[in-house]
Amino acid sequence: MARRILTGNEAIALGALRAGVRVVTGYPGTPSTGCLTHLLSLDLPGRHVEWSTNEKVAFEIAAGAAWAGERALVTMKMSGLNVAFDALISIAYSGTNGGLVVYVADDPGVSAGMAEQDTRGFALMSDLPMIEPASVAEAYALTQEAFELSEAVGAPVFLRLTTATALAHTVIEIEEEAPPTPREPILERDIARYTKAGAVICRDQHAALIERLERAGAWIHERGLNRLDLSKQAGGVGIVAVGPVAAYLSEGLEAAGVSRDDVSVLRVATSVPFPRQEAESLLDHCGTILVLEELEPHVERALIAAAFERGFDGRVVGKLDGTLPRIGEYGVAEVARGLEACDVSRVARRSEDLLQATGHERQAAGVSPAPRPITVCAGCPHRGTYLAIEAAIEAAGFEKNEVMVTGDIGCTILGMNPPFDLLWNEVSMGSSLGIAQGYVHAGSKNPVIATIGDSTFFHGGIPGLVNAIQHRVRLTLVVMDNGWTAMTGMQTNPGTGEAQQPGGRRVDLEAAIRGLGPDRLSVVDPYDLPATTAAIAESLGSPDGVGVVIARRECAIQVGRRGVTYGIVSVDPEACILCKRCLRVTGCPALSLGDGSIVIDSALCNGCGLCVGFCPTGALRKEAS
Amino acid sequence: MSCDIVLVGVGGQGVLTIADLLILSAFEAGIPATYAPTKGMAQRGGFVKAEIRLGRADVGPRIAEGEADLVVSMERSEALNGLSFLKAGGTFFLYDHVWAPTGVMLGADAYPDRAQVVGAIEGVSEDLIVLDPADVPSVDGRAIRPNIFVLGAMVGRTALREILSPELVEATIAGRWPNAAGPNREAFRAGLEASG
Repeated sequence: MARRILTGNEAIALGALRAGVRVVTGYPGTPSTGCLTHLLSLDLPGRHVEWSTNEKVAFEIAAGAAWAGERALVTMKMSGLNVAFDALISIAYSGTNGGLVVYVADDPGVSAGMAEQDTRGFALMSDLPMIEPASVAEAYALTQEAFELSEAVGAPVFLRLTTATALAHTVIEIEEEAPPTPREPILERDIARYTKAGAVICRDQHAALIERLERAGAWIHERGLNRLDLSKQAGGVGIVAVGPVAAYLSEGLEAAGVSRDDVSVLRVATSVPFPRQEAESLLDHCGTILVLEELEPHVERALIAAAFERGFDGRVVGKLDGTLPRIGEYGVAEVARGLEACDVSRVARRSEDLLQATGHERQAAGVSPAPRPITVCAGCPHRGTYLAIEAAIEAAGFEKNEVMVTGDIGCTILGMNPPFDLLWNEVSMGSSLGIAQGYVHAGSKNPVIATIGDSTFFHGGIPGLVNAIQHRVRLTLVVMDNGWTAMTGMQTNPGTGEAQQPGGRRVDLEAAIRGLGPDRLSVVDPYDLPATTAAIAESLGSPDGVGVVIARRECAIQVGRRGVTYGIVSVDPEACILCKRCLRVTGCPALSLGDGSIVIDSALCNGCGLCVGFCPTGALRKEAS
Repeated sequence: MSCDIVLVGVGGQGVLTIADLLILSAFEAGIPATYAPTKGMAQRGGFVKAEIRLGRADVGPRIAEGEADLVVSMERSEALNGLSFLKAGGTFFLYDHVWAPTGVMLGADAYPDRAQVVGAIEGVSEDLIVLDPADVPSVDGRAIRPNIFVLGAMVGRTALREILSPELVEATIAGRWPNAAGPNREAFRAGLEASG
């Protein structure tokens, strides 16, 4: 045993190593990224760990390894599960051999973007068990249980964390890693199990799937993963605390002035399958049930159905009676509010304070914090691309507000914010291409532009581009190729330079696009504004067909880490008239207002020189470093 | 003895480093501790928050609004984003650095002055400590790292001292960056002394 400071993501990584995992795949996505990042930082002989092209590919690799008999883990954020789900349903029907654990991170409160999607709904839809650790320590222990469960019933098992637990650092005890057991892959040919060949096979597989979930329920009950603790007195309040909410129970009871001994508690670690036996015991013992679960009322609905069947005549307090919200993260305040609605709160004032605290003082003082919209880093090549797109729209004879520019996922979407205000929308990985074609077919008379990053293009953009080429859509695609999956913290992708991805091979983005046969293709350097503008403007001016402009320049953060700069930009304070044009146009974080002139933060500036061309007096100058 | 701390600031100021050092110190002392970071998508210049819970094992990572014993802001305007967490009568620690967003520099957005921010804080608690960045000393003519200085002042001047001793935190800092032990010790001690 060793004490370590770990995040929830790292606890899952180490839990999987302890469980003897052989293959780990994933696609970056906040807040799940840290799990696979941690594994890649370790030397793990006999195991395979990779960032895959997208979550569907990642899942399929893990599933193949599990079919072959090995333990496999696949990691993703909630949006990624949407991508993987087609394959996942099929594998759910077939079942697995080796343990297959799907780690997915949800984000109630949306502190990491995209949506408050409750992936427990996917567990319900696929009839697969989902384990929901309430703490970092539980994440470590329950990852091992997830592998055991997967192999015990022959089904993939979801492991779900939410943002706070995934990212929280805390001290836990961990045990030695277990190396994977050397064995030959299982090569089993059984089309009744491994294909979907015909209705009978599919219906049989569906029946087997339902039966596996029932066995999972029995296994989970026997293992005591859902913990029931009944009070001495019957007839009181029973609390159902689901997943991460259980971590706030002690504090919530204190805040509401309720003794732990006076309430019964069911801590639910598996919303799916619903812990029926424990829930029935709770219903039989209590007069009022409080259900504390974030996002969708899945457990609450199942509990109400069980209550109806048992003739329960008490109250169920939760979301469906309007007490608690379906939006946002739960904490102490929600526990206290729920207890208050159960009429057991003894020190109402404290929970009243908790409920009232939100931001009131600030408003009363009549003063707000300055808005701090996120923008691209100093030296970011995307800055040049945004400026070039805007200039190209003008050069082609259009107004900015007449030309649809669709956005995509990743750093490239930052062009939606000031000072660029360029992108109109953001949907999902690769969607910039499809959405743009929709606008064209809807009758847009002006050119339509789609923008996408390199990793997003490999992940989900290629089918959209194929479609545009096949259907001769008049479209300009700008691929902002910085060589990294940057926004999630610099992960490799197929286009990352080979020196930066040991053992990997760089996939040539330009050759891939050329092979698809767009009508026009050019590769430009986004630090070269005139050339980038000209390439985009030429495509906008073409009457038909697909034009692709690859704006290629490596991520400024990554080259900076290797010590590369492109020159020194300086300000001549005598010449600077403080017109702020450089600041207004580029919004570069390295520029600020000094006494009487613009000041450049030399620690941030990498000498990209984009600001220099916008200075009307020549006060900004670039020299070689 | 427990202490719930909310630290806010701007990405690039070293807010998360302070949180890291606090949890490392608690780890060394065998004190239960959790730290949950919240940061925007940008590398730099966005809002950053760290919630740090010292001394209790049976709590979740988040601190409820109105429940923090100590709120520390590394930036004036962001103090207003941390204020809702402050417990009535809790301690607010403002390192009054001004990091104006581009919109403010261009005159498009308002930025609060010190009196406004202090007034808002005093509406919640009288226990306010303000450190002026101009008072951060330089050592041997070099500017010291403000976050290590602020950490020193936090330990020197708030109830944090009752949980984590100055010696322990200083040793943690030295262990984290052995090659910069000297300058960091100077910065930390300057912060401790700023506590007066």
